[in-house]
Amino acid sequence: MLKKFVAAMAIVFGLVSLTGCAPATTHEGVVIEDAWVRSSEYSDHAGGMTGIFGKFTNHGDQPVTIIGGETDIAKMVQTHEVVNGMMQEKKGGIVIKPGETVTLQPGGLHIMIMDIAKPIVAGDKITFTVKFKGAESQTLTLTAKDSAGGDETYNKK
Amino acid sequence: MISRRGFLTASTAAATAVVGAVGASKLQFDSDQQIAQTAVGQKTVSPHGIHQAGIDLELQSHSRFMAFDIPNGILKSDLAKWAELITDDIVRLTAGKPVLADPSAEFAGAPARLTITVGFSANLLRKIGAEIPAGFGELPRFKIDRLKPEFSDGDILIQVSSDDPIALFYASRALTRDTESFAKLRWAQQGFSNAAGVTPTGHTQRNLMGQIDGTDNPRPGTEVFDRQVWISEGPAWAVGGTCLVLRRIQMNLDTWDRLSTDAKEGVIGRKLSNGAPLGKVNETDLPDFEAKDENGIKVIPPFAHIRKASGKPKQQFFRRPFNYEVPGQEAGLLWTAYCANVENQYVPIQKALDEGDLLNLWTTPVGSSVWILPRGFQKGEVLAGDLFA
Repeated sequence: MLKKFVAAMAIVFGLVSLTGCAPATTHEGVVIEDAWVRSSEYSDHAGGMTGIFGKFTNHGDQPVTIIGGETDIAKMVQTHEVVNGMMQEKKGGIVIKPGETVTLQPGGLHIMIMDIAKPIVAGDKITFTVKFKGAESQTLTLTAKDSAGGDETYNKK
Repeated sequence: MISRRGFLTASTAAATAVVGAVGASKLQFDSDQQIAQTAVGQKTVSPHGIHQAGIDLELQSHSRFMAFDIPNGILKSDLAKWAELITDDIVRLTAGKPVLADPSAEFAGAPARLTITVGFSANLLRKIGAEIPAGFGELPRFKIDRLKPEFSDGDILIQVSSDDPIALFYASRALTRDTESFAKLRWAQQGFSNAAGVTPTGHTQRNLMGQIDGTDNPRPGTEVFDRQVWISEGPAWAVGGTCLVLRRIQMNLDTWDRLSTDAKEGVIGRKLSNGAPLGKVNETDLPDFEAKDENGIKVIPPFAHIRKASGKPKQQFFRRPFNYEVPGQEAGLLWTAYCANVENQYVPIQKALDEGDLLNLWTTPVGSSVWILPRGFQKGEVLAGDLFA
């Protein structure tokens, strides 16, 4: 008798938790939210560089890696990390485990674009295609915003 | 031993509690009591509509006016980019969400009726070669004015209002950060009214002199309000908008406090207790400017403020003032007039008051600016996008 009650309770709770999770399971692959490109004194001239940021969520059941991207306005695209305040290339890309969200933000992980063909200033829009290993590429329109966040040091050559 | 019926009831109740917690986790509060206690913070005002938000809305508890100067040589296309950034900020902030690239996103979530209202000066319209709508422009000089540049003029106005000063601080910083990529902050002035939950809806506020202030206001949503406030002809970006005269009125409360209640009531022409016109009973009673007492003296003195301020019906506007205080230094009113035509509706009344309003002995305008607030924007539109196109 008690077993039946426990089963009934499990169904009730099971239904509730399914309902609670429903929105998250409707997505496939990688969902990118609130992506933007930073404008600063490093990006206000041709030949300059800057970072791309955003929230990347892997809704698949396999790991996905951000390996870089493509844009008309920059020749070089790399994945970067900031270690001890110094920015460096993150070899092998940025891994997002199944079900996880990785936030690219100033002072942390980001996609770097270098040798830009024209200035990027606040309010500009650029087109950027993010490339993944394990997921389809995604083309985004990114708005440029001034940001002093992160306090990272660029190793200017 | 629990009965079957009792057990199922208990598990249903438990399940309901779980659902409640799932729903509330967004708000980070876990009981009905906490949700009720934080209701003020969770209230939102839509930024979309034919008019900008924050004009015909019941007063919030706090409001900040920020004026920015744009550099010479700025292009319309630069301002179009600014407008797009600010529109996105407005939509996110008023919904309680962080802005894009937000360095302090942890503040978001409790907008407390946050509204953000944007305006431009005639100077800005001239700088970009835009048409200046009829009746909008700078004010004539008034004798009583003692204007300070740090409270006057500017090119762009952003007004941020909320029932919570933290929400207001957070939104103001985000908007300033994104505007300073294009313009320089010229001044910021902040005011307050009663806190949420202190006075009932539709209640007329008391100013810091103790007067019930704003009785003659047209009521939002009425035909009179629409006619007086909203611009109905002119360039498309202005139609559905309004003009705002913002005056920083310093009060000399030390000398005011020395007056008797009778003297204070004579200066304004209304009772201090409930705002009724002298000789009348209720706040909303119409003043009788001809009434005389048994000695043949006018009940409402010749120089009373309400006598001087009563114009023809056409010469009226909507007021939405906030009190201000710089503790230990200065107190007064961030006085506002919203009208479709500044020249026809505001200037004649201010001229009359300039020449013999008794209230001038205790009040001094120390800041002044005039703005045109463009029409509102719908979902997907950019605020003032058509002005900068």
